[in-house]
Amino acid sequence: MTRTPEDTTLEQRTTAPATAAAGPSRRRLGPAAVWQTVGPLAVFVALFALVSALNPAFLGGGLRILALQATTILLVALGQAMVLHVGSIDLSNAAMAILSAIVLAMTLGPLAAAAPLVCIALMTAVGAVNGALVAYAQVPSFALTLGTLGILQAAALVVSDATTVYVTANREVLAPLFGTAMVGLPAGFWVAVVLAVLLWVLLRSTRLGQALTAVGLNETGALFSGLRTRRLKVLAFALSGFLAGVAGVMIIAQAGAASSFGLGSDLLLPGIAAAIVGGTAITGGVTNPIGVVFGALTVALIPIAAAAVGVTPQAQSLVYGAAIMVAVALTMTRRNRGVVK
Amino acid sequence: MTETENPVHPQATATRPAGRPGEGATYRRLELKSLGELAALVVLVAVFTALNPGSFATAVNLQTILDQAAIPLIVGVGATLVILMGSIDLSVEGVMGAAGMTFVLLSANSRDTVDLGLWAIPVALAVGVALGLLSGLVHTRLKVPSFIATLGVWFVGLGTATVLFGEAAIPFLAEGSLQSWPSGRTLGLPNSFVLAAVVVLLGVAVGRFTRLGRHAYAIGDDEEIARDNGVRVDRYKLLVFLVAGGCSALAGVLASLQLGAGSATVGIGTLFLTIAAVVIGGTSLGGGKGGILRTALGVLLLTVLNNGLILSGVSPNIQSGVSGAVLILAIVAAAWPHRSRLRIVK
Repeated sequence: MTRTPEDTTLEQRTTAPATAAAGPSRRRLGPAAVWQTVGPLAVFVALFALVSALNPAFLGGGLRILALQATTILLVALGQAMVLHVGSIDLSNAAMAILSAIVLAMTLGPLAAAAPLVCIALMTAVGAVNGALVAYAQVPSFALTLGTLGILQAAALVVSDATTVYVTANREVLAPLFGTAMVGLPAGFWVAVVLAVLLWVLLRSTRLGQALTAVGLNETGALFSGLRTRRLKVLAFALSGFLAGVAGVMIIAQAGAASSFGLGSDLLLPGIAAAIVGGTAITGGVTNPIGVVFGALTVALIPIAAAAVGVTPQAQSLVYGAAIMVAVALTMTRRNRGVVK
Repeated sequence: MTETENPVHPQATATRPAGRPGEGATYRRLELKSLGELAALVVLVAVFTALNPGSFATAVNLQTILDQAAIPLIVGVGATLVILMGSIDLSVEGVMGAAGMTFVLLSANSRDTVDLGLWAIPVALAVGVALGLLSGLVHTRLKVPSFIATLGVWFVGLGTATVLFGEAAIPFLAEGSLQSWPSGRTLGLPNSFVLAAVVVLLGVAVGRFTRLGRHAYAIGDDEEIARDNGVRVDRYKLLVFLVAGGCSALAGVLASLQLGAGSATVGIGTLFLTIAAVVIGGTSLGGGKGGILRTALGVLLLTVLNNGLILSGVSPNIQSGVSGAVLILAIVAAAWPHRSRLRIVK
């Protein structure tokens, strides 16, 4: 997340037109570049193979459960990846997902099909406010979103009156998301995957996406190249809010109820871990949303794998922590080498 | 976690050491800058005294506030050193849980495990230092960002505590052992606060007068320059994480004593409070600027705020919101005069 002047000058030399950086690096694929692309997939496949070998029954319905659990992690992780992509961090997006779920649970009855749209729009606006504060007041995103996290948690408690809010009517509006399956996996998971592919296209093939990459790789250079860096940062945070809003919809579609301490209340750290395990550089500019899909699947698989190899429930978080560190050490993008903070 | 100012001028890197003000000037400037937080604290105390004439400005409530401030003060010492270095330590709550459980299970308790008496404390501290060692090694050897390394250690600590807890009944500390120590008084102050004050003063001394502290500032200011000047960056990073682990462990022991029982989640909420306090105090998340006394001021500010709000009858539900709003106000106010189109803040 840190760029020293040293790094900046180095990149100014090597990737002067930062927007063109993707081109040459794609043509000469060294072992590191190959690993950067397939690493998240390889780690997931290895872990999945391990679980399947130890517990063959898992191959039956396991993948479906895994996709179910990975959906919200994936959405939050994609938002996190977009913010990490411009070199910032968003500690508030999981709290946004919960708030979105609580608001949705309360409005789904009266507003029916419009309610999810309202919630997603609301969270997009909250994300944009985060981004505007980071970009225009020039405060560190880590501290700012820590503050927003506190405010959103309080908002969730006040709105829900610190209890569980149940959907009273119109639950069938969201039923198709996890009631129907495509290729054996819930439709909601595919929605998240489609969003990941769209983000991949955005980053790879559009001028806007390349501009975001430029901000992440070298913000000063991007600024001097005439990019509207502040608006781009607002966009990244708004995307994070948008995806958190969608994650909230998924929580309601899965559980039919929401509370500040129930399903989805601990998404922040898995979300960050999934983004990093998916190959996102914490320093910015290197993000592969498709990799994040496998990052989210890996992070969701770790507890299942731990149970499959016979780890007691008490030791689960121990294994989780150790596995996150190993997975990150294996898949972390080390392109922006130099100082690691 | 980053703040790189004026990276536009590559030569700035070369001129910065020469352009640094002398030590005396730095301290004077820090003191002037802290006046904002000090003024905020005074205003808060005045407002809450006016709102709650009979209950806020009393000796009993002062002791409550100091007692509540003890744990974030102790954790804040380690957290500040880590943040000064430009890294971050998220493992606080996990380390507190693991060290707290270790301490409870090695003291006289309702489960009748081993009773090491006072020796339980050094063992608990060793657990914290070991977890700090793990963070430091993963960070410096595997080059994993401290954010992720300490995130992993958070879960490792939490898991260790949960494993230690096992499936048996909650281990309550035996009456009459150390249990009543934190709420006892020394010179009219709660013992827990006295302990925290000693740790803070030690931390200030380490930050100002020892190689460990000065190198933490140097590494945070510019790691490359520090390395080029012969600072063994990785070794000092590791040492700072050991210190942070020790501080968290001590806080875990104290929290277990205050709770009177063993719990894996004894540190819950400490991380948010401590990092907010560090930032409100004015320590830069980019590293190199700030200090432990500033964090202590930040902790007192947040503790007084929470205490005063509860006394004024504000719902506890919005407490985190108030802390968050104060955090945002503080950082925006601090950053506002420095805004410039070319400034890069991550």
